Amino acid sequence: MSLGLSPEEWTAVRLSLEVATRSVAVSLVPAVAMAWVLARTRVPGRTLLDALVHLPLVVPPVVVGWALLMLFGIRGPIGAPLHDWFGIRLVFTTNGAALATAVMSFPLIVRAVRLGLEHVDTGLEAAARTLGAGPLDRFVTVTLPLMSPGILAGAVTAFAAGLGEFGAVITFASNIPGETQTLPLAIYSATQTPGGEAMAARLAAISFALAVAGLLLAELLARRMGRWLGRG
Amino acid sequence: MLEVALRHRFEASAWRAARRDDGFALDLAFASPEAGVTALFGPSGCGKSTVLSAVAGLLRPQQGRVVLGGEVLLDTARGVMVAPEKRRCATVFQDARLFPHLSVATNLRYGLRRAPRDATGPGFEEVVGLLGIDHLLHRRPAGLSGGERQRVALGRALLARPRLLLMDEPLASLDAGRRAEVLPFLTRLRHAARLPILYVTHALDEVDALADRLVLLQAGRVLAEGSVETLSLRTDLPLAARRDAGAVLACTVLGHDPARGLTRLGFAGGELTLPLRDEPVGSDARLRIRARDVAVATERPRGLSTQNLLPAQVTGIGDAPSPHETFVRLAIGPATLLARLTRDSVARLGLVPGQAVWAVIKAVTFDRSGSPS
Amino acid sequence: MAAGPEPARPPAPDRGGGRSIHRRPLLAAAALALPGVAQAQAPLTVFAAASLQDALRDLGKQWESRGNPAPRFSFAASSALARQIEQGAPADLFLSADEAWMDYLQNRNLVVNATRVSPIGNALVLVAPKDSAASVTLGRGADLAALLGPNGRIATGDPAHVPVGRYAQAALEWLGQWQALAPRLARADNARAALLLVERGEAPLGIVYATDAAISPGVRAVATFPAESHPPITYPVAVTRRAEGNAAARDFLAFVTGPEAAETWRRFGFSLAR
Repeated sequence: MSLGLSPEEWTAVRLSLEVATRSVAVSLVPAVAMAWVLARTRVPGRTLLDALVHLPLVVPPVVVGWALLMLFGIRGPIGAPLHDWFGIRLVFTTNGAALATAVMSFPLIVRAVRLGLEHVDTGLEAAARTLGAGPLDRFVTVTLPLMSPGILAGAVTAFAAGLGEFGAVITFASNIPGETQTLPLAIYSATQTPGGEAMAARLAAISFALAVAGLLLAELLARRMGRWLGRG
Repeated sequence: MLEVALRHRFEASAWRAARRDDGFALDLAFASPEAGVTALFGPSGCGKSTVLSAVAGLLRPQQGRVVLGGEVLLDTARGVMVAPEKRRCATVFQDARLFPHLSVATNLRYGLRRAPRDATGPGFEEVVGLLGIDHLLHRRPAGLSGGERQRVALGRALLARPRLLLMDEPLASLDAGRRAEVLPFLTRLRHAARLPILYVTHALDEVDALADRLVLLQAGRVLAEGSVETLSLRTDLPLAARRDAGAVLACTVLGHDPARGLTRLGFAGGELTLPLRDEPVGSDARLRIRARDVAVATERPRGLSTQNLLPAQVTGIGDAPSPHETFVRLAIGPATLLARLTRDSVARLGLVPGQAVWAVIKAVTFDRSGSPS
Repeated sequence: MAAGPEPARPPAPDRGGGRSIHRRPLLAAAALALPGVAQAQAPLTVFAAASLQDALRDLGKQWESRGNPAPRFSFAASSALARQIEQGAPADLFLSADEAWMDYLQNRNLVVNATRVSPIGNALVLVAPKDSAASVTLGRGADLAALLGPNGRIATGDPAHVPVGRYAQAALEWLGQWQALAPRLARADNARAALLLVERGEAPLGIVYATDAAISPGVRAVATFPAESHPPITYPVAVTRRAEGNAAARDFLAFVTGPEAAETWRRFGFSLAR
């Protein structure tokens, strides 16, 4: 079923899904860790850390892309060792697009996870302690399952946002069909080309359908999760 | 053997200011024996739950020392603080705190899985049978009633094979019906578990039913420590100001007379007769005889409806629970009873210490502390 | 003011001086002397391709120092600007980076054909990071692919819609390198973005305008593409339909394309045909 899309257009769809999924996958563990630090610890400089986490939300995406280029580009402080020691390049690659997307949606996951964490009853964790559970044990057996609705919400939000991420991706990873030309970039290119409106409309419709599908899936998972957690 | 000594000052805070509570200091020490139930009893806010938290390791007091069975769990002077997960002091909380994402069976096994290999204790089936929760095993905590949840919480704590069982007002959030349902299980547990138990409560009937020793707390300090029976006779304690103040007697069931609907109980000073009960002959029991329910007669009364009429000797008069009333101590053999009389009656009867009188006991509260049937 | 039929009109109300009656003719004479001031003096809105940014700002300051209100500039990709004008954006002048987008507007009757001129020109250069040792002669058959190495990409505008990309494609086709290099393009959104990629070493080579290479300290121009390898790079200028009656717009266009501006254009690396 081609739905009237050309192979290039399908590539853009596939790439978008890949980039969004990779960006969520790579963000989850750091986001949980960050949510923990912000919600449960008293390290000095927490407020500053919180502000830094939210920076991608308030700064223009192109600026984020530019900053990533400075840091993770082949001459950047992180990009240079990555390239010289591991042969990893991020600019012009799908991984680079995923990184840019991950950075832009990181604050969304952290917020949702933090909220989920704050709703975990610390009394249950205390009970687990008295029953002999050490810190990692009770995190895995009690805290994590109970905060999973928050993690799910964060992942879904980040996935949906990631499907639409444009400014940071185009600035950092550039617009390479087959590598980094996700749906938003493809739509943008189409709108820039005289006569490309029909293609843009098709791709936009697909984008919309993907987002709706993602939300429905999330709703289904959330309900299942609610039952599993014993909330009817 | 559990030894506890704590000093902790709670800071005043906006929350406390709203309750007009300036914050208070805990400054107490007590000890409880190897086995049996020690009740920490006192009004709400007297610090008893704080003591429990400190023993469990969930709270670090400003100064304190907790020693269990010779092992130092906490010693602030030497910087020793064993983490709660290593103390093996399982706790039953007022709000059960069952893990909502796990089934009842998994909840029960939570502590069991983390108990050291050499720990001894009851088995899974035994505990499930003891608490009557067999039919709940595959359910989730969300669908259980308050009483069922508390029973599961008890089972979970027991199965963790602790060295000390801590209970923080486990029945306080249950309504009367649920309490009546759960209390017998606690009694059963007390006999079956053979564990030292530290039981925090503000309900005296729970103390009567379960406790061997009583530590009386008020405003962060220990007022008195001792057996339930001994403390019940102290008229200088706030216990005596209660409506149900009176002597607690250890008894044994002597026999039943179903035809007449009566049961005979023996205590140190003689026998008492109650309406028929179903506890087996020979089982231990505990009776509370409210001072209000004891009348004194200088001559043996005749044609009286009450069955329980015992010869006694006045051993003391004094300690007024109210301006116009006084406690009269009555010795019945080696046992003692308290009677609460008006000063006027005392004067009228010309009661003096040493006088031989009759104790007329109108009603008796039966608190089961016997072995299970 | 229409002169009334009655000769005996009372004098006009005093406006700060008894000589108001004599002031008006003086003002009118002064107004006629300064071109463009006769219009209500709203500043001009100029839409221009991003690569003209620096030069145009400089010219804007010169215009302002002549007593005109400072023009308001909007610099972006020619394609975006053209579409905005199509949608009714309030531009008075349009400077495009290629003829195609000016044609686009002309076909839709959105510019005043009579004002359209293309005197400003540019050249196309191959750039490399400042510290690169690359060198090549850009004639037919030049092997740019070899310069790129196995993994390198060549950064330039997207040929689908960015003018510098179109010129780059034409030049590469002339060199016979388009088939080899088309899949290895890093398609940037505009010339500046392409420059950034080369500056940061992400792309070993780039194809940008000579003017961009000149102002960027992080790149060096390796070679200039021969003028015959691509269509002439010209920047058409026109007054929009909306500003058709605006004398100030025409005056600014004349200034920007006239001899007074030639030195400024050259200073920024453009050529000015006459």
